[in-house]
Amino acid sequence: MVSEIYTHKNMSPNSFANDGSLSGKRVVIQPNMSVRGWLCDAGSLALKGFVALEDATTVTRMRNAGVELVGSSRMSELGFGLAGDTATRILSGGEADIALVTDTMGEARVAAAGSGIFGFKPSFGIVSRFGLVGLVPSMECYGILGKRLEDMIDTLSVISGKDKDDPSMPDEGFPDFTAARKPLKMPCTAGVVKECFDILQDRERKAFRTGLARLEEAGLTIREVNLSDFDLFRVVHNIVASVEASSSAGKYDGVRYGHRSSSGKNWNDMYLNSRGESFGSLIKTFLYQGAYFQFENYPAFENACRNRRRLVRAVVDLLGHVDLLVFPTMRLGHDAEKAATINHIYDAFLLTLPANVTGQPSLHVPSLALHSEVDIGVQLIGLRLEDPRLLSIGLKLSSTAQGGSAA
Amino acid sequence: MKYEAVIGLEIHVQLNSATKLFCDCPNRPGDEPNRNTCPICLWLPGALPQLSQEAFEKATLACLTLNCTIQPESAFDQKVYYYPDLPKGFQLSQHHKPLARNGWVDIMGEDGRNKRLRIHHIHMEEDVAKLVHETEGKTPISLVDFNRAGTPLIEIVSEADLRSPHEAMEYVKTLRSQLRYTGSAECSLEQGTLRVDANISLRPRGTDELNTKVEVKNMNSIRNVGDAIAYEIIRQTNCLEKGEPILLHTRLWDPEKRVTSPMRGKFSGPCIPDPSVPKIVVSNDWLKEMQGRLPEMPGQKKERFLREYGLTPEEASNMSFERDLSEFFEAVVKQDIPPRKIAGWMTTYLVPALRDRNQTIRETLLTAERFTRLLSMLEKDIINAHAAKEVMLQLLSSEETPEEIVEKGGFHQVSDTTELEAFIDRIIAEHPSVVEDFRKGNTKVMGFLMGLAMKASQGKANPKLLKEILTKRLNPKP
Repeated sequence: MVSEIYTHKNMSPNSFANDGSLSGKRVVIQPNMSVRGWLCDAGSLALKGFVALEDATTVTRMRNAGVELVGSSRMSELGFGLAGDTATRILSGGEADIALVTDTMGEARVAAAGSGIFGFKPSFGIVSRFGLVGLVPSMECYGILGKRLEDMIDTLSVISGKDKDDPSMPDEGFPDFTAARKPLKMPCTAGVVKECFDILQDRERKAFRTGLARLEEAGLTIREVNLSDFDLFRVVHNIVASVEASSSAGKYDGVRYGHRSSSGKNWNDMYLNSRGESFGSLIKTFLYQGAYFQFENYPAFENACRNRRRLVRAVVDLLGHVDLLVFPTMRLGHDAEKAATINHIYDAFLLTLPANVTGQPSLHVPSLALHSEVDIGVQLIGLRLEDPRLLSIGLKLSSTAQGGSAA
Repeated sequence: MKYEAVIGLEIHVQLNSATKLFCDCPNRPGDEPNRNTCPICLWLPGALPQLSQEAFEKATLACLTLNCTIQPESAFDQKVYYYPDLPKGFQLSQHHKPLARNGWVDIMGEDGRNKRLRIHHIHMEEDVAKLVHETEGKTPISLVDFNRAGTPLIEIVSEADLRSPHEAMEYVKTLRSQLRYTGSAECSLEQGTLRVDANISLRPRGTDELNTKVEVKNMNSIRNVGDAIAYEIIRQTNCLEKGEPILLHTRLWDPEKRVTSPMRGKFSGPCIPDPSVPKIVVSNDWLKEMQGRLPEMPGQKKERFLREYGLTPEEASNMSFERDLSEFFEAVVKQDIPPRKIAGWMTTYLVPALRDRNQTIRETLLTAERFTRLLSMLEKDIINAHAAKEVMLQLLSSEETPEEIVEKGGFHQVSDTTELEAFIDRIIAEHPSVVEDFRKGNTKVMGFLMGLAMKASQGKANPKLLKEILTKRLNPKP
């Protein structure tokens, strides 16, 4: 069944296992996550009518753990940004406990921030991408949204871990998510990046300060740290992601599936017209940008890759001095859902994309960074594979938030 | 000639692994169209490439046998271009970090001296799909067969060390022999499992300029490689002498007309590091294991054959050039037949017979054991060489034992002196003038008379005895 908020509504959501660790949990996914027999069009005409042939690894694992798959939401074209995404509406409507969304530049966290719920992006490479119709392989991952952090931790426990079908997962071991439920080891120091703080508007700063105060109340020590290359995150993400997107979308030719143009004198015309008619203007611009770096300005791409490595080193270095970094999640006056140009979209995700560039886990905690009813969110970033620790801090903070004065 | 050719070869070799490079589909491009496909090699949304361990190991063996250094870290790149034969809009290849670098092969130069030709690097890549253009009524249609898409290739890129068509042909021959030895590839130019592209430029002899090169493709035999390069050298020489510029482009060799003709401008798309195929990191232990898997190579084998079996250098080369034949040779040697006799027989009779039948030794019914029994009968004078050749030809396709064939075909050698004397007496009686000539001192006619006597015995006479009797008869005791 198709509706305004679902691309596929599952009419028989009962799962195979009733005694699994996620038994009875209702999960909504996106139509770029393969479920055998479900429409899998990644929100794009380029995949119009494409039905998945087999289940994604995450789907198999969740079903085996007792999840009820509610359906798939609507999503932005190819998962780039949040335009048209309905995952949070389904959660707010109480129709699901957990939503999985593709997080390429912070989509899960920013969507969560807009709805007062938790959003988490796990470390790169700990959740299999097999069956995920992706766009930016080196940056994207399954992001998780939910009202209850406990549900999210249980889900992560199920979907993460080695998968023989995804050889791109690094062989570095996997976090043990049960550790997230254990009490946090104190003391704990959170670093605030000065270069990030400096670009915030006054209102954002005020809200963020409130959030930092709540962290201190919970027993964390706040320290200012420097990351002089902070402004590079945006440009590095833009160049690398657009190049990868251009490659990933190269397969959409409208021949075997997807929209196929009826006009054209020869196959070259057919390809050009089909692709021209399939992609929306935002993704088209992004792909075009990627092709520009591929064909016309390769040195800029190489430079971006070098800078990316430098940024990873710098952040790892900082996390040697503090236990985690803390940023606001979203910007005021930059509505991610309405972003219609590349610039607007990068403005809206400016604070979340660093974790996608470096592959680190990042958690958005709601209800802390409030100012005049506006919640810009507290975003925690930790070392790769230290996901349980971040979640454990999240649990501590949420109990503070629920019991605190902001509630 | 005042110009010197500078030639580099890029050779694509299809590995004979059981599966494709990134999925478990059978590596059989010739099957019914689109039979050997899956979501990975069709690159359907959600698929992820999985590097085949077998293809990777075979590629490594190929690199090792060509004396290359396996790189501690190699990785795949996306070679981006849009064409219907590429299901994902890019080809997975190794551009920035190839599997191996700095190899060489030794060839015999035209002056008979050893020449070392360097290999710049070897990388792995996937092959593309096959396009078939047809018409449906009056409408032209293009069909895509994905059986070949994703099958494993290695590309061997030489340094521009080659100077002549001869060197190019020798390079390809040597490289093919080495690769076949490893068992990683079939290397047939005719069947397209080895494809040669030649980059050719000219420069004034004695300089070290590097001028604009022209790429020549589509040579489907070693001879065509030589001929296409020779043609291209003459064509470029004519251009230069007329003052016409050489343009960077690709030409196609036409094996019928024996000319090259322009194909298209040379296009090279960008190569972007692929984020989904993990980089390949090679440990020393693994490398040692792979080295241990390499068989004895033709060069080493030749040296050993010289040493152990007393073959001449030419015989040793002939017996070591192909792995199957060399193993066949050694199996027969073990049965106490003189090595030089085996080598002689194989070179003179067996190899030409295989060539005529367009078969390899494995494809025939002739085993080393059967060949040994045949040669033993020859050694023991049960049959003569003429008969042995006939029996050998039958052994290639008959399941009968050599003895049965000899028996049935009546190939037994005639060593009965009375019988032989009868043949000789008849010939002497029929050719009195020739006998006269001989007795006057023209000993050359001996061969003629021997031939007649052999013919009279239907080729079965024991030649040694025959000669003895004939000599006796022609020189009656005074």
